[in-house]
Amino acid sequence: MKYEAQSWCGSNTLNRARARWAKSAAWPLILASVLVLGLIPHASARTTRSAAKATETIPAPIKAYGSKNAPITLEVFADYECPSCGNFYEETLRPMINDYVAAGKVYLVHCDFPLSMHKYGYEAARWANAAAIIGRFGEAEGALYGNQNYWAESGNIEKYMAAALSPTDLKRVEKLMDGCDMSVAPGSHTCPLDAYIEQDRALGSQIPVQATPTFVIYHKGQKFPAASGVVTWPVLKQFFDQLLSQ
Amino acid sequence: MNAVAEPVPRAPVSRASTGRILVLIGRLALAAVFLVAAYAKLKPQVAMPWSTVSVKTSLAMFAMEVDSYQLLPPSYVSLVAHALPPFELFLGLWLLSGIAQRFSALASTLLIAGLFTVVVRTYALGLSINCGCFGPGEQLGTTTLLRDGSLLALSAAVTIGAFLLRRKQGEAASSAVVAPQRAE
Repeated sequence: MKYEAQSWCGSNTLNRARARWAKSAAWPLILASVLVLGLIPHASARTTRSAAKATETIPAPIKAYGSKNAPITLEVFADYECPSCGNFYEETLRPMINDYVAAGKVYLVHCDFPLSMHKYGYEAARWANAAAIIGRFGEAEGALYGNQNYWAESGNIEKYMAAALSPTDLKRVEKLMDGCDMSVAPGSHTCPLDAYIEQDRALGSQIPVQATPTFVIYHKGQKFPAASGVVTWPVLKQFFDQLLSQ
Repeated sequence: MNAVAEPVPRAPVSRASTGRILVLIGRLALAAVFLVAAYAKLKPQVAMPWSTVSVKTSLAMFAMEVDSYQLLPPSYVSLVAHALPPFELFLGLWLLSGIAQRFSALASTLLIAGLFTVVVRTYALGLSINCGCFGPGEQLGTTTLLRDGSLLALSAAVTIGAFLLRRKQGEAASSAVVAPQRAE
């Protein structure tokens, strides 16, 4: 499966926001605000810098399948420990990846939205992000959803990642997981991967994501209203066919 | 002079007219609900003009919401998704017209009862999905249950009222026919 570079969750939303920002006539005000804020010593500057440093030192995880130039983009906000997300992946996304994503019709983007009600969902998202950084997101996601029932009970995610990745890749992933122990609170600055998860969560909150899985479909630069729950592949395919026929 | 002094039986007449007004208000409210529901499902979901393509796209999107209830196989999902919004539109217009109002009210009650049952089942199963009742975006929750339950109560009341009014009209008509015979 092909992993596109320079693609990230919410890129469509961000691009449109950028375009609107560029067109706005508020530039003098923005510049003035930046100058004023720059002069004020900020208490949280150190933590902001450390988070920014963390995201600078490691490349952004590519949690997507297919070509970015596909006519349809499907963004899925999911929690690896959520059973509905597991069903959605197995029954809908997996056949879609093999069919429409492989055919270049759909670009599938995964966005992390771990729910606080799930004990190991955030940790699983860290592993998936680490695997995505080294270009092994597909393997990691398949292993997480495929063995969801097991690691959701024991919390032993590493065991299933080890089975899905080669020893070399596992070592690279484990290195990226330094400071991301399960005892580390979600969103912590000690785990550089959390910045990416929080970025996805922030984008999800804008939609707003109220349950997982929630998915958003983009076609010809237009964003369709978000939908929640498990939709079967034949029904989703009918919708895509309707879009592709336009 | 004596005829003027006779008491006029006003109470039953005013009760019947109040009943008629209440049934009318309830019927118009139900009509509005169905027309809004149909419009929300059929309207273009993105910025595009109304067209056959936009309606087909909206119905295909609604099919995804029907599918998320995990109640029907995909072939039936498409059938229901394509039949429900036009039926809601038809029912809304039927209720609005007032033609055979007790039957339009009955059809409305049966439809809302069916939809309410599905919503209650989904809520009980704990599925986190969009309701799809009035277009996309509404998460199914307690608000949905309360609203749909209230609509069911309203529709049932309108149906009962419409049948009672019809019976009273029938009784009044038969007594009007019988009364001259007695007078003779």
